[in-house]
Amino acid sequence: MKLIPTRRRRRAVAIAVAALAAAAAAGCSSSGSSSTQPAAGTSSSAASASARASSGQKVTLTFWTWVPNMDKVVAIWNKTHPDIQVQVQTQAGGDQELTKLLTAAKAGNPPDLAQVEYQVLPTLVTNNYLANIAQYDGSLKSDFPAGNWNQVTLGTGNLYAVPQDAAPMALFYRADLFKKYGLTVPATWAQFAADATKLHSAAPGVYLGSFSAVDPGEFAGLTQQAGAQWWSASGSNWTVGIDDAASQKVASYWQGLVSSGGVDNQPQWTAAWNKGMNDGKYIAWVSDVWAPSDFPTTAPSGTGKWQMTELPQWTSGANLVGNWGGSSTGVMAGSKHQQASAQFAAWLNTDPTATAALVSDGGIYPADTAAEAALSAPPTYFSNQPNFWTLAKQYAAAAANVTWGPDVNVAYTEFQTAFGSAASGKGSFLSPLTAVQSTVVNDMKKSGFTVAAG
Amino acid sequence: MAPYAFVTPAVILYVLVLLIPIGYTIYLSLEKTEVSGLGLGAGARRQVFAGLSNYSSALADPAFDSSLLRVVIYSVILVPVMLGLALLFALLLDARRVRFQRFSRLSIFLPYAVPTVIATLLWGFLYLPTVSPFPEMLSKFGLSMPNLFTTHVALLSVANVGVWGGTGFNMIVMYTALRAVPSELYEAARIDGASQPQIALRVKIPMIAPALILTGVFSLITTLQVFNEPETLLPLTNTISQGWMPLMRIYNLAFDENNSYEAAALAVIIAVVMFAGSFFLLRASNKRVFQGR
Amino acid sequence: MALTRVDGALTQAPSTSGRRNQGRRRGRDQRPAVVPTVILLLGAVYCLLPVVWVLTASTKNNAQLFNTFTFAPNGSLWSNIRGLSAYAGGVFWHWMLNTALYAGGGALLSVVVSALTGYALAKFEFRGRSTLFNLLLAGVLVPPVVLALPQYLLLAKVGLTNTYWSVLLPSILSPYGIYLARIYAMSAVPDEVIESARVDGCPEGTLFARIAVPMMTPGLVTIFLFQFVAVWNNFLLPFIMLSDENKFPLTVGLYTLLNRGSYQPALYSLVVTGSLLSIIPLVILFLALQRYWRTDIASGAVKQ
Repeated sequence: MKLIPTRRRRRAVAIAVAALAAAAAAGCSSSGSSSTQPAAGTSSSAASASARASSGQKVTLTFWTWVPNMDKVVAIWNKTHPDIQVQVQTQAGGDQELTKLLTAAKAGNPPDLAQVEYQVLPTLVTNNYLANIAQYDGSLKSDFPAGNWNQVTLGTGNLYAVPQDAAPMALFYRADLFKKYGLTVPATWAQFAADATKLHSAAPGVYLGSFSAVDPGEFAGLTQQAGAQWWSASGSNWTVGIDDAASQKVASYWQGLVSSGGVDNQPQWTAAWNKGMNDGKYIAWVSDVWAPSDFPTTAPSGTGKWQMTELPQWTSGANLVGNWGGSSTGVMAGSKHQQASAQFAAWLNTDPTATAALVSDGGIYPADTAAEAALSAPPTYFSNQPNFWTLAKQYAAAAANVTWGPDVNVAYTEFQTAFGSAASGKGSFLSPLTAVQSTVVNDMKKSGFTVAAG
Repeated sequence: MAPYAFVTPAVILYVLVLLIPIGYTIYLSLEKTEVSGLGLGAGARRQVFAGLSNYSSALADPAFDSSLLRVVIYSVILVPVMLGLALLFALLLDARRVRFQRFSRLSIFLPYAVPTVIATLLWGFLYLPTVSPFPEMLSKFGLSMPNLFTTHVALLSVANVGVWGGTGFNMIVMYTALRAVPSELYEAARIDGASQPQIALRVKIPMIAPALILTGVFSLITTLQVFNEPETLLPLTNTISQGWMPLMRIYNLAFDENNSYEAAALAVIIAVVMFAGSFFLLRASNKRVFQGR
Repeated sequence: MALTRVDGALTQAPSTSGRRNQGRRRGRDQRPAVVPTVILLLGAVYCLLPVVWVLTASTKNNAQLFNTFTFAPNGSLWSNIRGLSAYAGGVFWHWMLNTALYAGGGALLSVVVSALTGYALAKFEFRGRSTLFNLLLAGVLVPPVVLALPQYLLLAKVGLTNTYWSVLLPSILSPYGIYLARIYAMSAVPDEVIESARVDGCPEGTLFARIAVPMMTPGLVTIFLFQFVAVWNNFLLPFIMLSDENKFPLTVGLYTLLNRGSYQPALYSLVVTGSLLSIIPLVILFLALQRYWRTDIASGAVKQ
């Protein structure tokens, strides 16, 4: 669908005239036949490029994001880049934004920039909705952990987004209540299960967290830790391993916890769940290093009581965690200002001022390995853990590598349906897993992918 | 030429916002995308003619079939309850010797002013035991609050939002119809010694039958299109999934899964079923309801 | 769906209009009937319950909301309103104005189109009249969700998405409004008046604007109210069409406050307060114009 609204087309012409020829050329090539060869002028990688809109032609970029206070971070950029103004359009959340992004891109009028979670990058890329910005931001490779970089390149020579935050999972627990119920911090999942049983007999109605069928990303992260590879690609074939042994192990494990009553079966992020987190109904939460931005509103009275520790391990002494979410800044293929957009994306995620603002205003853990300066002080909520970010860094280093498939959205929908009824009916978690696997395989086959079950 | 000039704006809008989109939907329902290789890179995904394959895979989808069944059950519960209550209240508003009529009429009509999304949100808060005031009130009587989101009860919980929002409006329609019934008709019945309920049953209800049929047909049409309520409740519970109701499945396919082709096929199927059903219903009641000619 | 309750139903009462004498039916010497009164009041309580809840809940901050008995008011209403006004630079009030614009503007345009069309359908004999009427009525049967995607894709092609028009344009055509306007025109505008105006050489346009519209006015107010509520309630259309927060109506805005994704929990106390504030204007409108909700559609007259 290459119909461009007239308004945009007119603006595009103006810009082209205004000698941003490189950007315009990139726009053509990436929406055209192939986007692999970088255009001439690769040297102007965004890291080194200064704001140059030579003719003084002002460019306004739209940026979809759901990170709170992103407008404050962007204001810093806008102050120093009068020719490239960025306008934040706040979206409801990751899923909601993706929904609208797919539609907008299909209709041919996406924003210039969008915050994109790692797991949906392949969906956008296979639909040809994201621009290849390797020629502008390719030099940033050394700034990011290899795992994150791999997710934004999809293992190719192209670059589809600039990593924003790393999202290694972690366990949060109420230190005071663990003491009260005589629990020790679980180092392994076996101990976590034992704790759950112990807790259930000591205090029925108090839980070591909740299994939420609304959050497939969390379950996916847990299976990564157990060694699952939900998607993998070799040659021109996809392999789908959602129903593999590692995932089955994780599914059976949580099914056991839910049916024994040690873990609740309610969705997260609801008012009821918030209350449970606040008043001691839930005394542990399998979450992620981005949790500090949630806690102040989720459990306002828990300051100084919640603590972060490493995710329990499947084998004692191991050191591996999964990823839950995490996102990047992508430039849309439909953007007429890809170079300017790429320049902003690079600034947002690598400039020390920007990453510092992301941490303090947005509450996210930057993927940029150089952003440590911003992380010296722990989040306010976790001021009792001065080494909070040091721990986060350790977990990030231990995060599993992951390849996402082209229809994660289909998988997640089916997950919510199948696991939703299993969780509320406390039924088997293995058949929903099989259902997700077959739905995904069927969907991919229907679209013409060559796919094998793993 | 005057009449044609008068209807021109409506016809243009009709073509723009209805006919062309419907035609486009039918076109989309006959297309699909096809991927080559890993699907990465430009040109790896093409739109191709799909024939009727979208229709066959839509009809073969068990989740869609169960959502169809669910919406039928939902309508069968909601419509009679809502219209029954509306009729009861309308009769009470029209009855003699009943007090607080003005207050009640305004109160029962009030939910009509509350957008469904917000109404659902408010009920959602009332449903969740940890936030709701009900457990505390029930505990005074030694009762506990049941879980309103178990597999079967969830349907009733959603229906309650519909009843709450729709009763007042239908009540006003029926009440207006009742007020137009000539009073001589039942003064006579009263003198013959008929009781109030008898008058209601034998005189008033038959007199407003056209209003009842129309409210029934239109309530059914709108109930089968239920979307906002379950979509808003979805994040609150594991029970309500994204394909819970047929229109949710269409939305989910089109917007979350980026498969507008199969979504279009589902939309066409639902529109055809609704069209045929309503046409049949309206036809059956036509003579009584619409002014003949 | 947005249109649901508006589309609910309208009907005309039996055409033989005989109005009862209001004074007579309010018997002065009747003792109250207890059981029916109680039933009616129970209905009222059921309908008021969530409204009372939102009234008390909006007086609570987030902590109080989840930890105190929700029917007992606290004192945070003002700070909640201030918090809401401060959110994202006062965007909530933007939403309020947008909603007024969408609902008011959409309803007004809808009344104009409905009045023109209904009048023509009622008062002119012309080829294709009944086909047109049936086609327009059939429009009710097409679910908005079904239309949302193609409407979006088509509007995108002409560059109209994320504009006020993208929400206004699909809100103008109202099959119900046309249906009602036709009935009002039939019953409220006597053929004789039209005939004599034509004999006097009055042009059709002037006849409509100067003579027919004033006669139809009470009915047109009702159409306005229906369409106003329909647009005010609409969620899906603006949700799909708009990406710029500053163009959101209240329903979409409040939804985004509630669903903020994994990074930011919902702003419950703001949502609750926002819900309360968004209901108030509509309640006032209803109370102020409540007599129009009792328009006897058959006679086109407004009952007192």
